[in-house]
Parts: sequence; structure tokens; C-alpha cells
Amino acid sequence: MSKRGQRKKKRRAIPVPIASMGDIAFLLIIFFLVCSEVAKDKSNLQVTLPNSEYVQKTKTTVAARVAIDAEGVIYFDGARVESFKDIEWGVRAVLASTVSDDQRHVQFKCDAALPKETFEPVMKAIAEAGGILEAVGEKNQ
Amino acid sequence: MRKRNRREQKHRTGEIPTGSFSDIAFLLIIYFLVATTLVKVKSITADLPSGEKSSQAQSDKTPTINLKDDVIMFNDKRVDLDELNARLAALDLAEREGDQRVILLESAKGTPYGNYFQALAAISANGGVVALVEDDK
Repeated sequence: MSKRGQRKKKRRAIPVPIASMGDIAFLLIIFFLVCSEVAKDKSNLQVTLPNSEYVQKTKTTVAARVAIDAEGVIYFDGARVESFKDIEWGVRAVLASTVSDDQRHVQFKCDAALPKETFEPVMKAIAEAGGILEAVGEKNQ
Repeated sequence: MRKRNRREQKHRTGEIPTGSFSDIAFLLIIYFLVATTLVKVKSITADLPSGEKSSQAQSDKTPTINLKDDVIMFNDKRVDLDELNARLAALDLAEREGDQRVILLESAKGTPYGNYFQALAAISANGGVVALVEDDK
């Protein structure tokens, strides 16, 4: 009799509740989708970034991205533009709807070897349009 | 007879099978995790003042940094990067207000962006406001 009882106990299956697993997983997906920021810089630039001991991780959200590659070609939000004047108009347009200084940051990426004649007009164009420069660099090793 | 009835009842419930939902969801999570590239952008912040170009001569007291190739001049004295940082720190720019925080940054033609960036970073880190000096044409 006692043996019979033991056998019955062994056969009893313990159900693991997995009904909520799908909900948890989908919640995680939604979390990742909401929290992730899609990179707007579509230009796959070959840029050697300048070094400094003062660079820090960018904390602000940038309103626009300006880049100059090693060939001196200027990009605005990943799209190639002809001159620094386009940058000024572009930044001005982007910043037209901003209300605070935190929204005026413009990322500036430039090749370290480029001469002043190439990058300075672009920097001035950003400043003239009211942008705060976020110059991208690498930390000194 | 009873068994048959039970089977029929099971078919009649019309429940949507959700058992594989969690598998699909976890597969999507894994896809996102694998396909995501985390970019850590490091930068310096420089608020360059905009406005009308001024031909007015700057006050002699305004600190000036001149860049030419690899040479850095601070108030007409040759300095290296560490010395420049020390001198800018000594000015205590962050405590000053308005025009007192301005540092003139002048560079010769052909100055590479790498050198320019280091001077810009030093000024910004010490609380200065960069004013770019244009070449006379």
C-alpha cells in the first residue's frame, strides 16, 4: 500500500508557469525599442579623430550632426552638402523650433589632419546659426 | 462515447495557441541584442559666440592663443600643452563673467584640426569662451 502511494507521488508532474514568459519578453522588446536611439549619422566616414585629455562622454542629445571626412567633404546629418553655407542654413532650420540651450548642441566630427581653411568656416557656420559645438574626439591614452 | 465527446469539446474551445509567443519574443530580443551597435561618443562642448564681425581691436588684456603648425603661443610666449592648461587654469575663467571669459584663438593657415581641437578643449575645460580670430583679407 505504501509502495503504491510512493509511485503515485513520483508521477505527479509539477507544472512550471510559463504563461507570462511571452509577456515579459515582449515587455523587454518594447523597453529596448523605446530606450534605443537610432543613429542618424548614416555616412560611413573614414575619420581620424583628434585627441585630448578633456573629452568626455557626450551627455546631451544633439540636434544635428555635421562631419567632414578626410577628403574635406562636408556632411549634414549624413547627407553630403556642397558648402559651409548649407550647414548654416541647415542648422538654422533645425534650431528654429528649439526653446532651450540644451537643444542647441550640434555634433561636429572632423578629421584631425584637415587644415584650418576646411574646418573653420564650418565651425563658424554652426556658431552663426546658433549651435553649441560638440566637437567629437578621443581621449588621450 | 464519453472520450469522443471530450475530444470534440477540446476542438470547440477555439483558443489561440500562444505557447510559441515567448519563443518568438526571445528570438527578437536576441536579434536586437546581436544587431545593436553601442556607440559611445566622446566630445568637448564649445559655445562659440556668434554675431557681427568686429574690426575693433581687442583689449590688450584679452588672452590670446596663437597656433602655427605644432607651435602654441599664449600671449606671445611659446608654451606646450601642459603649460597652456596651467596658464588657463590660473586665469580662473569659470569664476569670471561676460567678456572676461573670452579667449582669442588665432591660427595660421594650414593649422591641422588636431592641434586646434586641443587648444579648443583646453579653453572649454577651463571655463573659457572661445572667440575665433579671422584672417585679414
